[in-house]
Amino acid sequence: MAIVAETSKFSRFAWPVLAWGVALIFFFPIFWMVLTSFKTDADAVKPEFLFSFTPTLENYANMTQNYDYWRFATNSVITSVSATLLTLVVGVPCAYAMAFNPSRGTKDILMWMLSTKMLPAAAVLYPMIFLAKGLGIYDTHFLVIMVLCLINLPIVIWMLFTYFKDIPKDIIEAGKMDGLNTWGEVREILIPLAWGGIASTALLAFIFCWNEAYWTVRLTTIDAATLSKLIEGNRAPEGLFFGRLSAVSTAAVGPIVVLGWFCQKQLVQGLTFGAVK
Amino acid sequence: MANRTIPRLLQTPAVLLLLVWMLVPLGMTLFFSFIRYVLNNLRRPEWTSPSIENWRGFGNYQFVWNQDSFWLAIQNSLLIVCSILFLTVILGVLIAVLVNRSFPGRGIVRVLLISPFFVMPAVNAVLWINMILDPVLGLQGLAVGGLNDVIAGLRNAPLIGGFFSLWPELNPISFRATQTSAYAVIMMVTWQWTPFAVLIFMTSLQSEDQQQKEAAILDGASRWSQFRFLTLPHLGRPIAIVVMIQAIFHLSLYAEIEIVSRGNGNKNLPYLIGELANNNIGAASATGIFAVILANIVAIFLLRMVGKTLME
Repeated sequence: MAIVAETSKFSRFAWPVLAWGVALIFFFPIFWMVLTSFKTDADAVKPEFLFSFTPTLENYANMTQNYDYWRFATNSVITSVSATLLTLVVGVPCAYAMAFNPSRGTKDILMWMLSTKMLPAAAVLYPMIFLAKGLGIYDTHFLVIMVLCLINLPIVIWMLFTYFKDIPKDIIEAGKMDGLNTWGEVREILIPLAWGGIASTALLAFIFCWNEAYWTVRLTTIDAATLSKLIEGNRAPEGLFFGRLSAVSTAAVGPIVVLGWFCQKQLVQGLTFGAVK
Repeated sequence: MANRTIPRLLQTPAVLLLLVWMLVPLGMTLFFSFIRYVLNNLRRPEWTSPSIENWRGFGNYQFVWNQDSFWLAIQNSLLIVCSILFLTVILGVLIAVLVNRSFPGRGIVRVLLISPFFVMPAVNAVLWINMILDPVLGLQGLAVGGLNDVIAGLRNAPLIGGFFSLWPELNPISFRATQTSAYAVIMMVTWQWTPFAVLIFMTSLQSEDQQQKEAAILDGASRWSQFRFLTLPHLGRPIAIVVMIQAIFHLSLYAEIEIVSRGNGNKNLPYLIGELANNNIGAASATGIFAVILANIVAIFLLRMVGKTLME
């Protein structure tokens, strides 16, 4: 961008100020949530303590007692990690085959996979509850993991496909010449070369799993309930518990927001299916 | 032939899983939409379990079609989706152009800007409706209260006091009310998704042709006409993609609506389906099929656009 010479005073001073202003406005609600989490419930709603108050860690210390935070957090970790791993186990071989041995049907299969993502969840809500209860897996980790895997599988395959496609085919051919079998190709060539791509796909899938709020809320009650369910269950504290609610919210989104900072680029590729570069 | 078998085998698990995921529940929805199926019905206990004997034909569709709540839900769905799209695209383009220059701290600005997108929807809604928008205890309530105090103070001031004594007391807005709850949802989702639009437009702006831009500057093109005739056309495709991806996501908004007002005043199609699914499964399924049709209309355009770049 340095090519475009900036001469006017306005653009040199007002531009950064404006950009910073907009960024701070957008970040403000998150900042506010974190700030409120360090206030007592009583202080959190008093105008005189808006910015100056005695910070306390009480809300974080009482998170287990107030909300049983760790049980929900453990469920979130178990389901998100397992679903991400399962999605990769199913998705990597599929994307590998599509990228290196494309057939005439590959494009259609990819498009069809993407189209499953566009099925409105609400339309199949009742059959899912019906099936889950019928099979006796309602409110289990297994069910949540399977559903999270299925809703993320199309995006994961697409992302992996766009990464794998960029690996020169000659390298794989050379591997074949050296007598590597399919598993050898994957282990010796594909994984070392596409490691970054696989890692960022996994990171993004993990974020999606963690934030998922439709199925995890509707297919669980207690045993497999995740953080989304916990927060939704405390939707209207009537101002009484702003402090503690902020603390539990901060704990629920903090790790993911930080993870998100590291995979901005991949987000673009993942969510636009490689159509914007 | 062995050459083809292994790739096929590798694709099988993924394809099978998605096939089952797509066909089984959707097939069941389709079946339920054609039968009488009501969970709590003491007078007609035979309707409480799914059976082909209770065939109703298009009766459920007709029933749903004639309900005011169905059309209200479509209206709300469209209002919410269209408003969010409009706001995120406009804000997204402006902010992307704003941060696409080098200035001190640009990296931090980008990080701050993208953060809302990673906040889980349930937290987003709880945070906005309580801590920010609550008419008494939220920031809105505190701000309105503070302003009223300032105005009350100014009434006693010399000279300008007369002017301020004409001002009425300000009233905070309750965003859980029927008239306003849809706007609360629009506000919070716009906050969350504008960063997504910014990110995509920014990525796209980085591939803008700089030589063309330089030439335009040498020719004396103004800032505005550079934006209008070079940047905006360049952003055409990303804008289309942002619009369609968001349309698909926001047509199925749920958590925000549940948390803001439990569907009071902002009930969209998924929420209506959720409510019907507590009892009248036949009607819920018919509404679900309508939702699928609506989503497909959007999806066809997106698939076409993405399909073009697929094999490049």
